[in-house]
Amino acid sequence: MMTDLSALSALELAELVRTHQVSAEEVLDANLARVEKVDGCPGALDADLSPEDANRVHAFITHTNDIARRQAREVDARIANGEAAGLLAGVPFTVKDIFCVRGTPSTAASRILENFVAPYTATPVARMNAAGGVMLGKVNLDEFTFGSSSESSAFQPSPRNPWDLSRVPGGSSGGSVAAVAAEEGALSLGTDTAGSIRQPAAFCGVVGMKPTYGRVSRYGLIAFGSSLDCPGPIARNVKDAALMLQVIAGADKADATTAVKPVPDYLQDIEKGVKGMRIGLSPDYFRITFPDPEGGEYVEQPLPQEISDAVYKAAEHYKAMGAEIIEDVPMPNTRFGIPVYFVISRVEAASNLHRFDGVKYGYRTKEAVRDLTEMYRHSRGEGFGLQPKLRILMGMYVSAAQYSEQYYQRALKVRTLIRCDFEQAFDPNGKYKLDALLTPTTPTPAFEMAAVYGDSVMMQYADQLTVPANHAGVPGISIPAGFSEDGLPIGIQLLGADFNEATLLRMARAYEMTTEQEDWRKKKPAILEGK
Amino acid sequence: MMKNKDDLISQDVFDHLVDLAAFKLADDEKDYLHEQMNHQLDAIRELEAIPLPEELPVTTHGVEYGKDGKPALRKDEWTACENTKEILSQAPDLEDNYIVVPDIPTTELE
Amino acid sequence: MSVEYEAVIGLETHIQLNTKTKIFCSCKADSWEDAPNTNICPVCTGLPGVLPVLNEKVVEKAVLLAAAMHAEVQPLSFFDRKNYFYPDLPKGYQISQYDQSLAKGGYLELPVPASADADGKGYIRKVRIHKLHIEEDAGKTKKEKNRRFVDFNRCGVPLVEMVTEPDLRSADEAGQYLIRLRQLLRWLGISEGDMEKGNLRCDANVSIREKGSSILNTKTEIKNVNSIDAVKDAIRKEIERQIREVEKGNTIKPWTLDWDDNAGVLRMMRSKETEADYRYFHEPDLLPLEINEEWKKEILKNLPELPLERRARLMTEMQIPEYDVDILTGDCDLADYFEEAVKLYKGDAKKISNWLMNDVLRMRNELGVTMAEMKLTPAYLASLVRLMDEGKINITTAKNLLPKIQESGKDPQTLVEELGWAVVSDDAAIRVVCEKIVAQNPNEVQSYKDGKESLIGWFVGQVMREMRGKADAKLTQEILREVLGK
Repeated sequence: MMTDLSALSALELAELVRTHQVSAEEVLDANLARVEKVDGCPGALDADLSPEDANRVHAFITHTNDIARRQAREVDARIANGEAAGLLAGVPFTVKDIFCVRGTPSTAASRILENFVAPYTATPVARMNAAGGVMLGKVNLDEFTFGSSSESSAFQPSPRNPWDLSRVPGGSSGGSVAAVAAEEGALSLGTDTAGSIRQPAAFCGVVGMKPTYGRVSRYGLIAFGSSLDCPGPIARNVKDAALMLQVIAGADKADATTAVKPVPDYLQDIEKGVKGMRIGLSPDYFRITFPDPEGGEYVEQPLPQEISDAVYKAAEHYKAMGAEIIEDVPMPNTRFGIPVYFVISRVEAASNLHRFDGVKYGYRTKEAVRDLTEMYRHSRGEGFGLQPKLRILMGMYVSAAQYSEQYYQRALKVRTLIRCDFEQAFDPNGKYKLDALLTPTTPTPAFEMAAVYGDSVMMQYADQLTVPANHAGVPGISIPAGFSEDGLPIGIQLLGADFNEATLLRMARAYEMTTEQEDWRKKKPAILEGK
Repeated sequence: MMKNKDDLISQDVFDHLVDLAAFKLADDEKDYLHEQMNHQLDAIRELEAIPLPEELPVTTHGVEYGKDGKPALRKDEWTACENTKEILSQAPDLEDNYIVVPDIPTTELE
Repeated sequence: MSVEYEAVIGLETHIQLNTKTKIFCSCKADSWEDAPNTNICPVCTGLPGVLPVLNEKVVEKAVLLAAAMHAEVQPLSFFDRKNYFYPDLPKGYQISQYDQSLAKGGYLELPVPASADADGKGYIRKVRIHKLHIEEDAGKTKKEKNRRFVDFNRCGVPLVEMVTEPDLRSADEAGQYLIRLRQLLRWLGISEGDMEKGNLRCDANVSIREKGSSILNTKTEIKNVNSIDAVKDAIRKEIERQIREVEKGNTIKPWTLDWDDNAGVLRMMRSKETEADYRYFHEPDLLPLEINEEWKKEILKNLPELPLERRARLMTEMQIPEYDVDILTGDCDLADYFEEAVKLYKGDAKKISNWLMNDVLRMRNELGVTMAEMKLTPAYLASLVRLMDEGKINITTAKNLLPKIQESGKDPQTLVEELGWAVVSDDAAIRVVCEKIVAQNPNEVQSYKDGKESLIGWFVGQVMREMRGKADAKLTQEILREVLGK
C-alpha cells in the first residue's frame, strides 16, 4: 500500500485524503520512502561524486521533510475538523529551486545563492500550500535556468532521466520532471522560458505545461528572462496538470504583468472530447532550420522519422475522434525563434543577474579585497558558473549602446513576426481558424549526459520547437506519445491561443483517453522497475 | 546584410564587457567564454539577416492583455513589512542595522 | 582686447514626491526619522524574484507637474532599466524612463527680479524643459573609514527628474529657477521641495561661450550642492574658473565637480560610473504606462491657477507692484487670502497688500499657523481697513486691534465698541488736552516758536499719549498749530 500511494495521481490522492480513506501523513510517508529509494544524495556544491551516483535520480537539492510533515499534519487536522482541505489536500509536490520559499535555501542552483534562505514565498508556491499541498523539497535545475539538460547546476550530481539514468532529464526543469517521473511527488512546479518545462517533460515521459504569459504570477521566481518566464505545472497525467493550474493561475497584485482575466474551471469540460475542433499541422515544426556554419544559408533538417510519426499518429487519433486536421499551416518565422531568444533572454538575464553582487545576500567572496569593485568582481567571478557568465557577457554585448539598435531592438521586432504567425493561425476570422497547433516537442529524445553540454549553440537549437510560444506568449503543453526505438519517451506538443489552456487540456486529455490501452502506456521508468 | 566572418569580438571589447559585468575571471574561463561568444555571434548574424518590413513595431510582451486584462495600478496605501529582520539576516556583513561593504574606490583629484 | 563671455547653464533636478508610499512597493515614502533599514521590504531591497508594482499616485503627481510646466503628457510611456553597480542600488539597475517618458517638452517663464539683473530692470527668462520623467530613488550610504554603511530606507522613493535645456545665463537665474520650482511644488502639493531635507536635489551643468555665440561648449557637472545658495556660489565659482582657464588658453574638460560647502570650493571627483554604459532597455516587469484622456482630465481638474500666472494676473488686475506680488503669491493660501480680502474690501488693493505683507504676515509667522487657520479672516481685514478709511479708527488703533481680532475671533467693529477705541473727533476734548500739553511744556513751545517746526510731531505724540491714541491725528495737529500759534 505504501509504495502504491506514491504512484497515484494527484486527483486520486486528494480524493482519498479528503474522504478519510488515507491520511496526508501516510501519503507523505509513502513518497518519502520512494524518495529514499530512488533519489540518492541531493545535489551539493563541491560534491565528491561517486560511481554510485550514476544509479540514482538526484532530483533534489534540498529536502524539506520537516515542512512537509507539518503541512501534512495541518491537512489532516483540517479534515478531522471538517474544514475544507483544498484542491490539493495532502498531495506531495516539489518546487524547482528557482522559486523563493520562505525558510528554505533558494539557490537557483548557483553558488552565488548557496546560503540564501528566502524571507518570503513565491505566489504559486503559496497557493499550492494554501490548497493543501505538501512540499517535499526544492529540486535541481540548470544554473539560473540557463540550459536544456540541467547539467550546468552548481549542485552536483545533476538530475538524471529516470527512464535511462545515463541520460539527461532535459532542462532547465530537469529536477522537476525527474521527480515526477520517478514518482517522487505527484506534482512539480517548474518554469518555462524557452521550453524548459515542455522539453524535459517530453524527455521524461510526463505532462508539462507552459501557461500563457501572465496567467501565473512570477512573484518569487528568481528572474531570468522576465518577458519570457512562465511558471507551470508538471504532472504524470493531464488532469493532474489541470488541477495544479487551477490552483496556481490567476492575477496577483504583486506581479504587474499578470492578466486580470478570470480563471475557468479547467477540469469541468476536460473530457468532452475534440469533436469539431480544428487542429493544425505546420511543416515548419517538422524540421529544424538553422544557418549553415559555412555559408550562412539556411539548412533544413527534417526531424527523425519516429518523432514526426508520433505526431502524425496523434493527428490520426484526433481525426478519428472527430477533429478536423488542417495541414500545411505556415509558421514561417519559427526559424527565427532561437536567434531572437538569444538576444532578448540574454539582455534580460544580464540585467536580472546584476543584483547578485555580494552586498545584501548570497555569496560574498572570502578573499581580502581592497575596495568595493574588487568585492564585486571576486564575488561574481567566484559565485557564478560558466553558463551564467556567458549569458551575462552576451547580454551586455548585445545591449550595449552601440549595438542596441541593431540587435535588441531588432529582436523585439522579429518577435512581432513570430507572434504574427500564431495570430494568423488562431484568428477566428482568418484562413486557418485553428483551436490548436499539433507539433513535436523536441527534435530528439533525451541525449546522453555530457554529450552536448559545453557547446552552447547546439543546445540552444534544440529549443526551436518550443521557444516561439515563449516569444508569442501563447500557452503550450507537452504530453507523452510513445517511445523511441531506444525506449526513450517521445512527447508531442499542443499550442493554443492566449488564455486557451482549457482547450489545450481538453485536447491533451482526449489523446490520453484514446491511447489509454496502448501497450506503451504500461511501461515504467527504469528506476522504478525492480531497482 | 551579412557581417564579415572576421568581425569577431575583439580582445578590447571582450575585456570591456568583463569589466562592465564585474567578473574576475581565470584565464581558461576567459578563453572559453570569448570563444563561445564568437560562436554565438553566428546566431546574431542570423538575426541581422532577417528582412524586416518597414514600420514593424516592437513586441515587448507577446501576449495580448486586451482592454480589461491589464491590472490596475497600485493604491497609495502603506503596508509595513513584518519581517525586515529576516531580510537583513541574509546580509553577509551587518552592523548597527546597516549593511556594510568595503569603500568605493573614488579618487579626489584637484 | 578681452572677450566677453556668457555662461550657459542647465539644471538637473530630482524631486521627491510626497506620496504615502514608495513608487514600486508599499513601504513608506517618508522615512526621514526612521532607524536604518527598518522601512524596507523584499521589493525595495532587490531580493531575488521580486517585482515592481507602480503606485498610481506617483503618476498623478507627475502629471500635475508636467501640466504645470506646460509639458505634453504622453498617452503611452515606458519604463526602462538603467543598469550599473552601486551599493545603494540593490537591483543593480534603477527603474527609470529613458526615451519615451511620461511628458515631453515644457517650459517655465522665469521672472528675474531687478535685484538679480545686472541692468537693474528685471526680465523674463524662458527656461525650456529637456526631460521630465519618473524614476525610483536609491538608498543612502555613509562612509566610515574605509567601509560603507548602506541604508535602504530611501530606496524606491518616487522621484521626478526634470532637466532643463541650457537656457539659464547666470548663477542668480539658476537660484531664481530653484525658488520658483520650490514654490510650484508646494503650490501643487506634490513635494516639499526642500533642498536641505533632500526632497529637491540639483545638479548644475555649466559651460561658457563668447557672448553672442550659439554653440555649446564642453560642460562640467556640479554635484553635491544642497541649498539654493550653494548652487549659486558653486556656479559662480565655476564660471570664473572656466573663464580663467579659457583666457589662459586651456580647454575645458568634461569634469564632474563636487562642491564642498564648508570650504566653499569645487573639487574634481571621478564619477561613480566612469564611462557608464547603462544599457537602457524597456522594463519587462512593468506594462507600458497608459494615461488616457479621461484619467488625465480627472487628475488635472484640481490643477490650481499656477503661481506665476496668478502673479501676473494680480499685477495687471490689481495694479500691485512686483515686490508685493512676489510676497503675496509666496504660497497658495496667502494668495487666496489676499484675493478674498480685496474682493470684500472693494477698494485700493494696495492698502490690503500693505497690511498683509507687514503686520498680518508677521503675526502669522509668530503664531506658526497657515493663513487659512487665522482667526483674522479676510473679511475682518477688509473691515479693519474700511474703518480706517472712514476715519473711525486711526492707524495706531488699527495695529492694536489686529492681535485682539486674532485672539477673540470677533470682528473689528464689535471690538472697537467693546473696548471703546473709537477715534475721538470731538474738537473740544482734543482742544482741552492740547492746551494742557502746551501749558506743561514751555521749553518746547519756545523752540517751536523759534522755528523748530518739526516739533509739531512731538506735540501730536504727547497729545496722543494722553488720549491713549484715540485722537484723530489730523485734527489734533490742526488744533495744536492753532494753540501754538496763539
